[in-house]
Amino acid sequence: MVRFWRSLRDGSSFDAVLVWLALGYLIVFSAFPLIYNIVISLQTVDLFSIASLNRPFVGLQNYREVLSQPIAGLVFWNTLQFVVLSIVFQLCIGFGLALFFQQDFPGASYLRGLFLAGWIMPALVIGAVWSWILAGDFGVLNYWLRSLGLIDQNIFWLSDPSVSLYSVIIANIWLGVPFNMILLSVGLAAIPHDVYEAAELDGATAWQRFRTITLPLMRAPLGAVISLGVIFTLQQFDLFAALTQGGPSNASNVAQYWSWQLSFQTYQISYGSVVSVLMIVFVIGVAAIYTRSTRHEQAA
Amino acid sequence: MKKYILLALAILFVAVYLFPLYWMYVTALKPSSEIFQFPPTFWPQDPQFDVADVWTRLQMDRFLTNSLIIAVGTSAIIVAVGTGCAYALARVRSVWMDIALFAILMMQVLPSSLMITPIFVAFSQVGLLEYPRLAVILAQAAKSLPLYIVLCRTAFMQVPRELEEAALVDGNSRIGAFFGVAIPLARNGILVTSVLIFLHAFGEYVYSRSLIGERALQPATVGLQSFMGPNTSDWSGVMTYSAIYVTPILIIFVLLQRRIVSGLTAGALK
Amino acid sequence: MRLTIALTAVGLLATTVIASAQEVELDLWTIDDPGEYHYVLAEEFMKEHPNIKINVRTVQFRDMVNDLARAVATGSGPDITYIDNPEVALFASRGLLLDLKPHIEKSEIVKEEDIYPGPLASVTWEGGIYGLPRGANTIALYYNADKFREAGLDPDNPPGTWDQLYEAAKALTKPDQNVYGLAFSAVASEEGTFQFLPWLQMTGGNYDNVATEGGAKALNFWKRLIDERLASPDTLIRSQWDSTGTFNTGSAAMAISGPWELPRMSQEAKFEYRAALLPVPEEGAERASALGEGDNVILANTDNPDEAFQFVEFLYAQMPRVWNEFGYLPASQVEVKDPKNPEIYAVFEESMKYARNRGPHPEWPRISKAIQQAIQSTLTGQAEAGAALEAAQQQIDQVLGK
Repeated sequence: MVRFWRSLRDGSSFDAVLVWLALGYLIVFSAFPLIYNIVISLQTVDLFSIASLNRPFVGLQNYREVLSQPIAGLVFWNTLQFVVLSIVFQLCIGFGLALFFQQDFPGASYLRGLFLAGWIMPALVIGAVWSWILAGDFGVLNYWLRSLGLIDQNIFWLSDPSVSLYSVIIANIWLGVPFNMILLSVGLAAIPHDVYEAAELDGATAWQRFRTITLPLMRAPLGAVISLGVIFTLQQFDLFAALTQGGPSNASNVAQYWSWQLSFQTYQISYGSVVSVLMIVFVIGVAAIYTRSTRHEQAA
Repeated sequence: MKKYILLALAILFVAVYLFPLYWMYVTALKPSSEIFQFPPTFWPQDPQFDVADVWTRLQMDRFLTNSLIIAVGTSAIIVAVGTGCAYALARVRSVWMDIALFAILMMQVLPSSLMITPIFVAFSQVGLLEYPRLAVILAQAAKSLPLYIVLCRTAFMQVPRELEEAALVDGNSRIGAFFGVAIPLARNGILVTSVLIFLHAFGEYVYSRSLIGERALQPATVGLQSFMGPNTSDWSGVMTYSAIYVTPILIIFVLLQRRIVSGLTAGALK
Repeated sequence: MRLTIALTAVGLLATTVIASAQEVELDLWTIDDPGEYHYVLAEEFMKEHPNIKINVRTVQFRDMVNDLARAVATGSGPDITYIDNPEVALFASRGLLLDLKPHIEKSEIVKEEDIYPGPLASVTWEGGIYGLPRGANTIALYYNADKFREAGLDPDNPPGTWDQLYEAAKALTKPDQNVYGLAFSAVASEEGTFQFLPWLQMTGGNYDNVATEGGAKALNFWKRLIDERLASPDTLIRSQWDSTGTFNTGSAAMAISGPWELPRMSQEAKFEYRAALLPVPEEGAERASALGEGDNVILANTDNPDEAFQFVEFLYAQMPRVWNEFGYLPASQVEVKDPKNPEIYAVFEESMKYARNRGPHPEWPRISKAIQQAIQSTLTGQAEAGAALEAAQQQIDQVLGK
């Protein structure tokens, strides 16, 4: 007992206790739903048998049936596009803005704070506002494009199957920029100024300084932001519900929305869970890459 | 001179980015037929701002109080449970820690809308639904905890280990070094992350909608949804509601973030 | 002294316990908000029956089935709830609803033969009656009489056939003024199915028989309206409410929707609006219309079936008021005194005669989804109408076990 207390005070048990505190909480409150989803995906589940786990076991049958649905391929391709495009643009814009506001000019920090609007507006409102901006007939975006002479026919951002997915992506990029910017700003602020000054004295160009100082030192924040970005993007649900409902004709349907449709619109709960499990598998991949990348971090 | 060019550019960026926010305010002022007009009007012809009316009609004080309770509760749990974990994950490099980090990330995969059925079933079995706001706090804390841990971890990564080792040499215990050195030095990161988590919880919707049946206990997001159902016509009311909801947080944040992001960080590491 | 106070307190406590022991509490779920049907009538009912307390809870329309199923599965469901009519079979077929037939037979207020056949069919499952309609609705063609005159059309002679509808839409479309001829909804939700089914039924098809020539003709007609920009391409993602919103602001000259639009229309539409029966494929063709609105049902595991029925019966007895106060059509033979918007009421009342059910089928959402997919893939040009309906038919047959 004494030894335990000492190791808690001075040794490695301290770390273990801290980690287990959080992990235990998550296992109680998050692991159960995940396991439940996995179990359901292997069973035949009725809307009314959700409260017991004692149901007919069908193995991978559900997986075969979901994957053989004609829209499965489309949905997974859309999901991939949605995740990759959202992340790339969110990160570039967010990083660009973080670097920009890092410079010294009056009001920089106040103006930067305003970017948080995207983070605090209720999701329902964001959806409604974007649906007006993107509306085909009376939308502001079309009005501008027409006033600038860029188009002469209204683009039906939300109901044209060839653009609807990209419309949701645009709205999602908008939504994700503040998160990226603020966190990368915090990271940038932690880089000591003298490092840059030294490099400047050595005659390094701005680009060289960015590449040799900023990027390596930003490795940890970037890794965190990207991996969380992937997870957030996969969780994006409200924008689909508000803007296109995955339509028209599934042109903007993605895995998370499809899963919800299967479970809660046509009540094929097992199929919905199958899609969730496939998403989990995808995120396992992402989480593995992230965890690996943290190994190269300078354990400062 | 360069400063003012930068300022002008910054204002331009902010203006472009904030257009949707502006649109929310303008819509709040428009009567509903004007919302669907083409060409759109950039300033309402006959502005009407019914803050007082929306506030009382929808009993926003009660809704906002509930949101606040949920957000405070969630943040408290997360900060209490997550900070130490983030610290440990940042300090110790081992396979086990990799596995723990991996597991934590994994817990956050699915959108709330897909997690809610099992959570509802489990909570109702153990009787947690008797305390609906607590149920939402517990579920939402689990939802945001991984985010908090991952972000705080990067904050601790940037605290030089030497300072802490110096404290240990001076006779501090690990616990003492954690509270006396690591947390004060990482406080900016912790603060920013806590604010993000807080705002997340403040805007939580899916769990509250499903777990809280009683209107008097529902947060503002559910209140908002309840008057923008499939047949919403009062869009200016919806936008007024959300303007009331967004404006104070936005002001507080703009004022605070200066301290949070720039001021403190720069000073702390010197 | 203290003792007496304590004793009085105990006495008071005892009396309240006795008083509340006689009181029955009923939980009611509804899609209404305070001030609407269930809230208003629950208040009235409680005034008449002080011993029954009704706790009303609002659930969003789209969440009702899931929330209810979840609650029933965990044993925390309400006593009485509202369900949209195509969903009644889903719950009834699993024995979750109380069969009201024995109660109706004893009732002096509810008579089975008074209920219109459509609404009655939607609550009937294998011989039992599992709910009472709170009203009904259907769809018709609203039109802007002012715009008719401007375009040289006769507002007293609205389009009666599909061809006339097309011609009228064409004459009324003014791209330079951002005015479309017609607004309707082809959204990928139950609403899209609701709007499309009558078109299919007028040509002899039905939900279990969609791959017909008439079905393809109807879909191609819709496609033509959108391709020629007589209706907005956003028809594909707009709900009926949003579509009709464009009619109210003058951005569409005609709209297909139901009576629930009238309160808003009377406020927003600054023009003379009228209604007509849904146009038919050709002169003399069979008519059809959609049947909407939902039912008051009692959950099978309620502890107080008699009181619950008393309340549902009370709701049913308010049928003559539903048009004027709540905007539904009566679902049974009652006389509506001084209807608001009398001409439009007459059109909807007539239209009700042709209103047909969706289903009933316990797996209705999957059937509906197949139909929505056919509509959407045709209108976006991804599939040809016949092929799209053929694909839908296959999925529907699978559901129906054919």
